[in-house]
Amino acid sequence: RSCILVSIGGKNIMLDCGMHMGYNDDRRFPDFSYITQNGRLTDFLDCVIISHFHLDHCGALPFMSEMVGYDGPIYMTHPTKAICPILLEDFRKITVDKKGETNFFTSQMIKDCMKKVVPLNLHQTVQVDDELEIKAYYAGHVLGAAMVHIKVGSESVVYTGDYNMTPDRHLGAAWIDKCRPDILISESTYATTIRDSKRCRERDFLKKVHESIERGGKVLIPVFALGRAQELCILLETFWERMNLKAPIYFSTGLTEKANHYYKLFITWTNQKIRKTFVQRNMFEFKHIKAFDRSYADNPGPMVVFATPGMLHAGQSLQIFKKWAGNEKNMVIMPGYCVQGTIGHKILNGQRKLEMEGRSTLDVKLQVEYMSFSAHADAKGIMQLIRMAEPRNMLLVHGEAVKMEFLKGKIEQEFSIDCYMPANGETVTVTTNPSVPVDISLNLLKREMALGGPLPDPKKPRTMHGTLIMKENSLKLVSSEQALKELGLNEHQLRFTCRVQLQDPHSDTDTLHRIYTHLKSVLKGYTIQHLPDGTVMVESIVIKVSSSTEDPNTKVLLLSWSYQFGSDLYCLKRGFFF
Amino acid sequence: RTDMEETEFDDILDDWFIESLKTYKDLHVYQLEHPTQVIEWTSGKTVCVAGFTSSKNEILELRLPLKLFADENKGLCAERDFKVVHGGFTDAPVRFSNCLNLQVWDLGGDDSDVIRRTGSVDGSRGVSEGGSRIAARLSSQPQVLHGAESAGVRLTQLTSGQTVYTLETDSADPLSSLHFVSDAVFLAGCSNGKVYIADTRTSAAPQLSPPPPSSGESVLWWTDASAGPSCLDPSSCRIVRLSSCGQTVISDLRNPGGAVSRAQLDVQTRRCNADDVRVSWAPALDDCIAVSGFSGAVQIYSSSVWTTELQEAQPLFEHRGHAVSSQSDDGVPVFVTSHVWHPERPRTLLSAASDGSVHVWDWVDQSAAGC
Repeated sequence: RSCILVSIGGKNIMLDCGMHMGYNDDRRFPDFSYITQNGRLTDFLDCVIISHFHLDHCGALPFMSEMVGYDGPIYMTHPTKAICPILLEDFRKITVDKKGETNFFTSQMIKDCMKKVVPLNLHQTVQVDDELEIKAYYAGHVLGAAMVHIKVGSESVVYTGDYNMTPDRHLGAAWIDKCRPDILISESTYATTIRDSKRCRERDFLKKVHESIERGGKVLIPVFALGRAQELCILLETFWERMNLKAPIYFSTGLTEKANHYYKLFITWTNQKIRKTFVQRNMFEFKHIKAFDRSYADNPGPMVVFATPGMLHAGQSLQIFKKWAGNEKNMVIMPGYCVQGTIGHKILNGQRKLEMEGRSTLDVKLQVEYMSFSAHADAKGIMQLIRMAEPRNMLLVHGEAVKMEFLKGKIEQEFSIDCYMPANGETVTVTTNPSVPVDISLNLLKREMALGGPLPDPKKPRTMHGTLIMKENSLKLVSSEQALKELGLNEHQLRFTCRVQLQDPHSDTDTLHRIYTHLKSVLKGYTIQHLPDGTVMVESIVIKVSSSTEDPNTKVLLLSWSYQFGSDLYCLKRGFFF
Repeated sequence: RTDMEETEFDDILDDWFIESLKTYKDLHVYQLEHPTQVIEWTSGKTVCVAGFTSSKNEILELRLPLKLFADENKGLCAERDFKVVHGGFTDAPVRFSNCLNLQVWDLGGDDSDVIRRTGSVDGSRGVSEGGSRIAARLSSQPQVLHGAESAGVRLTQLTSGQTVYTLETDSADPLSSLHFVSDAVFLAGCSNGKVYIADTRTSAAPQLSPPPPSSGESVLWWTDASAGPSCLDPSSCRIVRLSSCGQTVISDLRNPGGAVSRAQLDVQTRRCNADDVRVSWAPALDDCIAVSGFSGAVQIYSSSVWTTELQEAQPLFEHRGHAVSSQSDDGVPVFVTSHVWHPERPRTLLSAASDGSVHVWDWVDQSAAGC
């Protein structure tokens, strides 16, 4: 499950809130006690950002917002906002109705959760508050998936969610500008793989469908309304056309309406080719693919049917499955992951006898095929993304650390950046070097210039004196006098005094004079004055001589200097050592 | 690239993929970041590939997709990807048969995925332009046969660095390959077409098979010897020699000077990089030879139909995947840099090309007779 907490510039952000599909107990939820031991999360989080609608990224969201408690904003793209609640509701139905779980969110909770959602547009900067801003980038992967750029002051983080760097038939490839974030957080589940090409996967799919059709079998493809269904339809249409095949292809009507509706809404999220064709015709208007009627399932001969829901847990796809399961000429192709408890999950685990409602058993004789069409970035993709964004540090999540030393080394070598690979529950602290912009007053600049000397150079910085004022979210460097004026304060001068005792039988005046002559001879190059008021001044240090009251031979030298002139004091010390 | 060109390319590619439904049983297409000239088996399911640029190169140990091996439950296995099991870096170009200084690499165990260099063997005696060739000994002792020229081929113990055997020949001919045909017998194939056969157990002079006739001066030759269990009896060992103009000669190890059969292959020698050409016997099929390096295709021939007369031979199968799927921007056509047969699966091969692609394919034998 994906759930990452980021603290940046004093802000706390939760990235994704996924469910772990392998557990049945509370381990499937993220452990929110990392945020706070008790109570609601609202005070501890500035915002929550969801990257896309897959359950391992948003499955725990209603639990977090309604059962643990969070009332702040939840950011996600428009398509994600539209599709999330559907998937969450399906998931809830399976978990509660089919498996009888109790500690789970309700339908109302899903609705309440979605009310807190603030939708994002691509490349649009959104101010969460006056310091925190976020921006969504196209991630490919599934409809509406986004990578998020988070910025507080001059520090930034980019979180990728799931993404892919190669376009497919209905989605483009992920893209980001050279935003140079301090940290790039990337999923690395496939970091140690080199992915087989898209066309080979498609070839496999076509081969299976073709083989089944050739022997007169029926092919059932359970799909969720969006994403894969669209792509596979385009693929089959192209294939049927080329091979001049006659077997009918159907998709269930529920599928068409929903899919059309969403694609119309989110056309900008699909790729170039789809957008072009969509202008000419309806999304699901294919030559060889027609709307399904439930009576067709009993027709003889080969056919291909796309039906919902995707995990065979209910509805039309399950009905068709029941009818076709007993014939070994038939085939079911599962194009994605199935949640535990569904028929899809069971048959993918090799189960050939299923217990159905009413205690009847179903013999699964048809061929079961699992094809993975999900688009993820592999090692090459991760390197490509790093080249695009140019982060200063890299963080890889959800990989196996032991198996990623090579990739870590590769990243560190090629880009000279640090690469971190934290495990679940681990905290990584990354030191950043933010540039802090400061305005400098013209007067101060002029004064510094008047002091002469070499001009400041990035390689040879020069020390300057001034006062840094933070006012209205900006930083200014001004002269001390101006600062005092702005603050309405009087300048105080500190003078230090020190008494030195000498044994000298001469008169006060003589002693002073002797000191004066001595210093003058030893400290060349310094301004030494013998003033008529009976003091000697070395630069701005004042020296007075007086006799001790007890013993006229003991002279007391009073030295007095002001705070700034440490260097003058040093030279005086030198003088006295002589 | 215009939209039009892009569509045309896609169409041709789609066509090839659709055609492949009949012509291949399995097909996997991968893209490495950098091209490799090396594909070497490290186990029944893993291969090593490595870059060959003049600066830093990656060495990767890749595990073949699980789906390829999941024979019974193939349908339930969705895994089609290469898994990078181990990875490492080297500063020199890696051409397994062509390194001046032999570097020894430790593939690491389960607790790390990094490949580290553990040592080197000085292989640079009498170095010719091509550099050293190597062959690993079939026995369990870690020994490697290496050399750049026929005179000076040595068998070195890896752990001690000791030379166990040295080949002595009258002339120093640059080598194109070294092969073990049994535990102790090896072949040194020279670029001029000569083949030396030596036994590491004796100090007797090696047998010499002269270059096939009608060999011109600038013609290069490559060799492969069929090895493995069938070669415990040397009489079933055969040598194939391929020239840069496509002439192919098969000889018997018992009579290395003669020719069992010949053929003229259509290799379209517009250009060929000596380092890229490979000819190999299929380890699990009779009389099958694979040839690559002359173009963007890998050709499979069945030598069972060849005779002693030099005649044109047609390939039994041609894998054109690299040529078809390559999008070369600079107009330079892609060419295959390496191929290997799977040691047990009869028709499975891996091939790599100059554009960084690596294909794993299992071809369908469409002819009645043959392999």
